[in-house]
Parts: sequence; C-alpha cells; structure tokens
Amino acid sequence: MNRRLLIASLAIAALVLMLVSMLTGPAGLGPVQSIRALVAGGDEAAMLIMREIRLPRALLAALVGFSLGVSGAALQGFLRNPLAEPGIIGVSASAALGAVLMFYTGIAGASLLALPAGALAGAAVCVFALIAIASARASTITLILAGVALSSLAAALTSLVLNLSPNPFAAYEIIFWLLGSLKDRTMDHVWLALPLMALGWAALWSSCRALDALSLGEEGAAGLGVNLARARLFIIGGVALSVGAATAVTGAIGFIGLIVPHLIRPLTDRLPGNLLLPSGLGGAALLTAADIVARSAIVERELNVGVVTALIGAPFFLWLVVRSRREVF
Amino acid sequence: MVTKRAVESVMAGVTAAWLLAAPGLAQDRLPTVASLNVCTDQLAMALAAPGQLKSVSALARDPMLSAMPEEAKAFPANRGLAEEVFTLKPDLIVTGTFSLHNTTGLLRRLGFRIEEFDYSQSLATIPADIRRMGQLMQRTARAEEIASGFEKKLAGLTPLKCRRKPVAIAYGQRGISLGPGTLAHTVIEAAGFENLAARVGLDGMSPFPLELLVASPPDLIILPGATPGAPALADEALSHPVLKKLPGTVTASFSRAALWSCGGPFTLDALQELHALAERLTPCKPETGS
Amino acid sequence: MSISAQDVSVRLGEREVVHGVSLTLKSGQVTGLLGPNGAGKSTLMRALGGQLAHSGSIMLDGEPVAQMQDVARARRIAWLPQSRELSWPLSVENLVALGRLPWHGWRRTRSPADRELCRNAMQLMEVDALAHRPADQLSGGELARVLMARAVAQDTPILLADEPAAGLDPAHQISMMAAMRQLAGRSRTILVSLHDLSLAARWCDRLVLMKNGRVAADGAPGAVMTKAVLARVYGINAEMGHDECGMWLAPLGLTQGDEAR
Repeated sequence: MNRRLLIASLAIAALVLMLVSMLTGPAGLGPVQSIRALVAGGDEAAMLIMREIRLPRALLAALVGFSLGVSGAALQGFLRNPLAEPGIIGVSASAALGAVLMFYTGIAGASLLALPAGALAGAAVCVFALIAIASARASTITLILAGVALSSLAAALTSLVLNLSPNPFAAYEIIFWLLGSLKDRTMDHVWLALPLMALGWAALWSSCRALDALSLGEEGAAGLGVNLARARLFIIGGVALSVGAATAVTGAIGFIGLIVPHLIRPLTDRLPGNLLLPSGLGGAALLTAADIVARSAIVERELNVGVVTALIGAPFFLWLVVRSRREVF
Repeated sequence: MVTKRAVESVMAGVTAAWLLAAPGLAQDRLPTVASLNVCTDQLAMALAAPGQLKSVSALARDPMLSAMPEEAKAFPANRGLAEEVFTLKPDLIVTGTFSLHNTTGLLRRLGFRIEEFDYSQSLATIPADIRRMGQLMQRTARAEEIASGFEKKLAGLTPLKCRRKPVAIAYGQRGISLGPGTLAHTVIEAAGFENLAARVGLDGMSPFPLELLVASPPDLIILPGATPGAPALADEALSHPVLKKLPGTVTASFSRAALWSCGGPFTLDALQELHALAERLTPCKPETGS
Repeated sequence: MSISAQDVSVRLGEREVVHGVSLTLKSGQVTGLLGPNGAGKSTLMRALGGQLAHSGSIMLDGEPVAQMQDVARARRIAWLPQSRELSWPLSVENLVALGRLPWHGWRRTRSPADRELCRNAMQLMEVDALAHRPADQLSGGELARVLMARAVAQDTPILLADEPAAGLDPAHQISMMAAMRQLAGRSRTILVSLHDLSLAARWCDRLVLMKNGRVAADGAPGAVMTKAVLARVYGINAEMGHDECGMWLAPLGLTQGDEAR
C-alpha cells in the first residue's frame, strides 16, 4: 500500500475513534450537545464533562497508544524479533515498578516529575537488562523467557511495595498498575506525560536509519556506517521515555506494541524504519477503540483497558507463536 | 441437744455451701471483655468500667477507621488472633458478624463466650446496639443513659430551613459513593438532605461515575480526609480538578474522618456537623436583601 | 584508492588472531585472501574495514581508518559479511537500496541517482529480474548475489567481501568473480576471501595466503600457487596449469604424514 495512503488512513481512523471516545460516557450527552460543549461552551455541566473528563481521556488514549505502537515497532526492529513489545518483554511492568516506588513512598508528592522519572528509570533498567541477556544472536526463546522473567520480577516487587504501604487501599491498586486504566485522567496527566513522550518519539525517529540497516544484522549495519552504540542508546532512551511516561499516568497496558506492528507490517515495504509512524498511529487508534469497549462492554461497570487489550492480544500472541514455528515473519 | 459433732457438721455444711457459692459470688464482679472488631471496640469503650475492657483491636487506633483513636490507645491492641485473645482469658468476646470466621469458630471451641454484632446500617438501630452491649457487659445503667440521650438528640433535631431540599453525596476513595443501605445514607437523610446516590439508583457502596456528578451536581460533596503520609491512587479520585469547578457545589469533610464508619454515639456528631453545614449551601442560605 | 596495513595485530578475547600483517591493496585489482579455517581471514578483513580494534596502522590513502567517522568510512569501504543475515523479508529492490544508506544522511528519500546506482548494481549481479521478489523467496545463490548487489550499490572505492561465493553453484561462482573483475576494471579495490583455490587462481590478480594469523605468501597467482606453498599452508597436494583464460588448479589429496594445521 502506498505509504502516504496508509498514514492518512490510520490518522483518520485515530481521529474518528477519538471523536467516538469523546461521545462515550455515562452522562448521556447527545452528539451535537457534546461537540458544542467541547468547542464553544454553553451548558456548564456539559462543558466540564467534555473538557475535564472526556477530552483528557481521549487524548491520553491516543498519546499512550501512539507511544506503545511506536515503541513496539522500534523494539522489534532493534531486537530483530517480531515478538518483541514493551509489555511482553517486561518494559511496561518495570516502568510500573519504578512509578510505584516513587508514588507510594511519598517521593512523588514532593516533586511532580518524580513519578515519571521513576517510571523512566524502571523502563530503562529493563531494556538494558534485556539487551545484555538477549544479545544479537539470541533466539526468540531466550528473548521471550528473559522478558517473562523480568516482567514477573517487576510484578512481584510491585506487589511487595504495595503491600508494605500503610495505606489500606494500596494493596488493591495493583490492578491499576499491572492492567492499566484511563479512568478519570485529568489534563494535568496529559501535560505531564506529553513532553516526555514526545522526546521519546523524537529519539526513536532519529534511529530510523539504524533500524533499517540492522535488517542486515549488526555486522552489516556497522558496515553501512551505523554507530551501534549510539543507536542502542537512542532506542533505549526512546522506549524508556515514551513507555515510561505512558505507564506513569495510565499503568502498564500491554499488547498494543505487539498487535499493531504485525497488522501493519504487511501493508508497508517492511523496512523497520518505515514502520514507526504507521505503528504509532495504529496504536493510537487501537487503544482508543479498546477504551471505548472498556466503557461500553458491561453496563454500569467499567473494565480496566488493559483487560481489553489482553483479551485481544494474548490469543493473537498465541497465534503468532504457532505461526512462527513455520518461520514466517 | 447440740453436740460437738452437730456443730462440726453444720460448720462443714456452711463451709461447703460457701465454697459452692463462691463462684456465684465471684459472678457479681463485672465480666472482662475483649473486642476484636473496630465497631464493637468503640461501643465497648464507651460503656466499659475501669479495668473491664481487656483489649481492643489495633484498628481502633486508626483515625481513618475509628472515631475514638485517642481513647483506644489506653487499651492493649490485638490483631484478632485467637492466641492473643486466649492469653487474656476474657469472660466475653465481642466482634462483628463479618470478621474472621475461623478465629471466632476456634475461640468458641476453646470455650469462650462470643457475641457478634451486625454492622449498624441505620441511625435508628444504634440505640438498640448500645443497649445490647450494655446488657452483655452488665453496664445497663450507663448504656441506657447514652442510648436515651442519643434518641433525645435525634428527635430534637431542628428541621432545615431551605427553599428546596439540598442534595448531598458521600464521595469516597476510588470514587465510591454511599447509597441506600448504608449508615451514611440514613445520616444524610436524617440531616434533611437528599442523597444523590439514591436519586441515581446506586445502592450500597458503589462506584459513582464522575460524569454523573458533574451532570447533576449536588449542593454538597462530603469527602473523606486523605490518609496522612500514605499516598494511594484511591485519593486521586478526590482531587480531580473538576470537583473544584462545579458552580454552587460545596465540598467538605467531617472533623473526624470515621464518624460514620461505625454506628455509635459519635455518629450523632456527623449528623450535627451536616446540619450545621447546611447554612453554607445555596438553597439554604438565608435570603439577603439584594 | 588504496588501503594499506602496517604491522597489524588483532586480539579477540585473549587470543591474538592476527599477527603483524602488512599488505597494501591497490585499486584496479581483485585480491584474493586465502587460508585454512581459523587462519584469521575474516578477522583481518574486519580490521581492514574499521570494524575491529587493532594495533599497528591501517591507512586509506594515507588517512587512518580507525579515526574515521562511521559514515565517512562507510562511503569509502563496503563490507559484505560472511553471515547472510536478513531479519525481514524485504523486497530485493529495498534490500539493494540499503546500500545507499551512508549517502542519505537524515533524508530517507531516494533520488533518481540512487535508483540508477541500485539498478546498475542489480544488473551487474544479474538479479534485476527479481527486483520485486521478497527476500525469503530467494534461493541461497540468489540471496548471495542480492547481498553483493547491495555492497556494489554502496558505490565505494573499496569493497571487502568475506566468502561471497560460498555455497554457490559453479556457474554462479564464476559469474560472481566475473562481476568482481568488472568492478576492478572500474578502478575499485576489491578484496575477496575464498576457499575455492581454482576460482581464486583463475580470477584474482593477486593472492594473499594466510596461515596462523600471518601472511604466508603474497603475489601473483602463478608465483604463489606452487606445490611447495600449498603443501606448507594447506597441507595438500595439487595439480596446476595454465590455459588461454588463466590458471587452473585441482587439489588432489593430503600431503603424506602431515596434518593441515
């Protein structure tokens, strides 16, 4: 498919879904009323609902989805493995651990940036560890096992920290951190996460060439003039920034980074660098759709959005594992 | 004829009778009590004679759950474990119906007397609970004093002078509201408010969607205080910026966080504080000249 | 452009794999790098390509390779590794176009000049008919030629190829070496490592034989490929001769009572 056509369609899909997301909610506002309240004001309650509750939610779904999609594509290109994504290889869980450490010890209360900083650090440590364990010629098995191990360790430590908190609610909040949620997010969350995510996207985008060159392996890439150490740094930094900032405000949401690049890759020329932007847009669309489902699926209750992405993603992952036995990408 | 043997046997009989009666005489002292549940803790503390209450649960010292945290510090704390209670050897153990079934079963098998209290679901049942606790602890006079005082104050509450019935909601951690079937609901209604949770149809403790709160804003949102020094995401729901932007809505918290977590004499304070708050609310503000 | 090594030694881990190698490669020549397994051929080539740390000096027209920027080096030396790794089923066209990466900088668009170079490279390696085929549907020989086309498309004065003819059928081996000669004819400096002694003898202008990390022989095929040298370096007996096209060579068997070390 023509690249411009692909990007345009994905962008339009994401925007349409964001619109639907802003029209979804328990307050029962009609479409016309909602749009008018969002843009022009008027009815005070409708305006508050649209601008303070629904808008940040829709924005965050799109931005977090974009971050997860682009990080998944970057990790797959860098690790040369189509099964890599921030959730499976433990980056999201590690980011959640970092955030939890900052939040429940009260450090996050002292400084606004402490929470995303913790998440960033957690994510970066995980990617470092993964690259150390699953080096260039490691098989898929090694990578996935390493990811599972890191993910389990992060989840266990998160659970420990939460149980040690003096606050009685803390122990139950593990569901938020490990399954993610976009409920009642505020514009403050958007402004906190957006600059960091944007920095992450920039770092990943600047590694486009390196990702393309890595199609030929590390030796081939080095022969094409790619500085592998610098590329590694920018990819780690980019993934840590975008996934870390996202996890700090919504908890760990998995599988977006796995599903989206896979679905989009056959529509591109398969050069890893060319997959980044479409994966980001696809991720924005998919997470927004998942969030709409999370709010509409069960009457009167709201699901954690991570439950929806896991319900789609885990079977998809299984299917990929079965397919990969026949060495098809 | 009174023989020496007759006197001896009479004396033996009297001694025997006295020895047999001794436990009965000992029964005349007040029963020692241990409480395993934060709600029974507070009832027991209100009624106990000095030295009668041997232990209360550790939660009674938590200001988020107990309205009498300072008083609770005078008593040894227990975590509801059978071993702790066993060493105290109380005559009576009081606890709630929903707590620690394994522990209560074990204690019963060990021969202790256990009395269970339902969680008070309404203002109206509180005096009965007070009286029952008084009877169990053999402090009926004190219990009657407190219970009838409660009933009198409840009956003597002056009705609100409002143009229309003000609407209130109890909005707690994680955005959970207290609707019909909870103690808080009866307090809200007794104070003269309409409970927004009831109007929307959310009974008991249910998540209350933030959007509905904004769509039909109440006159009063009752917030719990945040747990000092121990942050949790649950508190984030209470600090959503939109809550401060609702026009005509007042947000407030009780002077003590746990006034309506359990039913007791202190629950009346919650009622009175709500009543006093009413004057700050739009439909209840005194009409001014301009 | 010439590349010269002076007393180059390379350590891999604790072992010294290449000892004090000195040689100069000139443009317009196809130089064959030969030697038994483990002689240090790949290691030497990687050092020449600036991929490995080394002692001694390696100069590109007087400029030290070790101090060059990655991109500047990639515009002068094309390195074709032995492992034919390919992670994604890219189309042949896109694969070959990867060779243009060092020339792009931040821009990722392909100019008409780029496309021309790629097309020429594919024609030289006879894979232009396969332009739109995904790489996972190529045979081993086709993939080898496509990867060579990528290196050719890089349009560098120097080309270092590590066993590019390995696993190819005789026809494809010959056409690969013919293509190398053509490139040399266009003033490029070509270094290829080979195991096929006959192929090397026939198609290379110069041969360098390595053994145990040192240069054992260096010169024209006729001078280097002698029975004595082959027995010393490879431990084999061979027959050789000349015809109108060049030299031919046929390994016959192991030398008596000698293990090829």
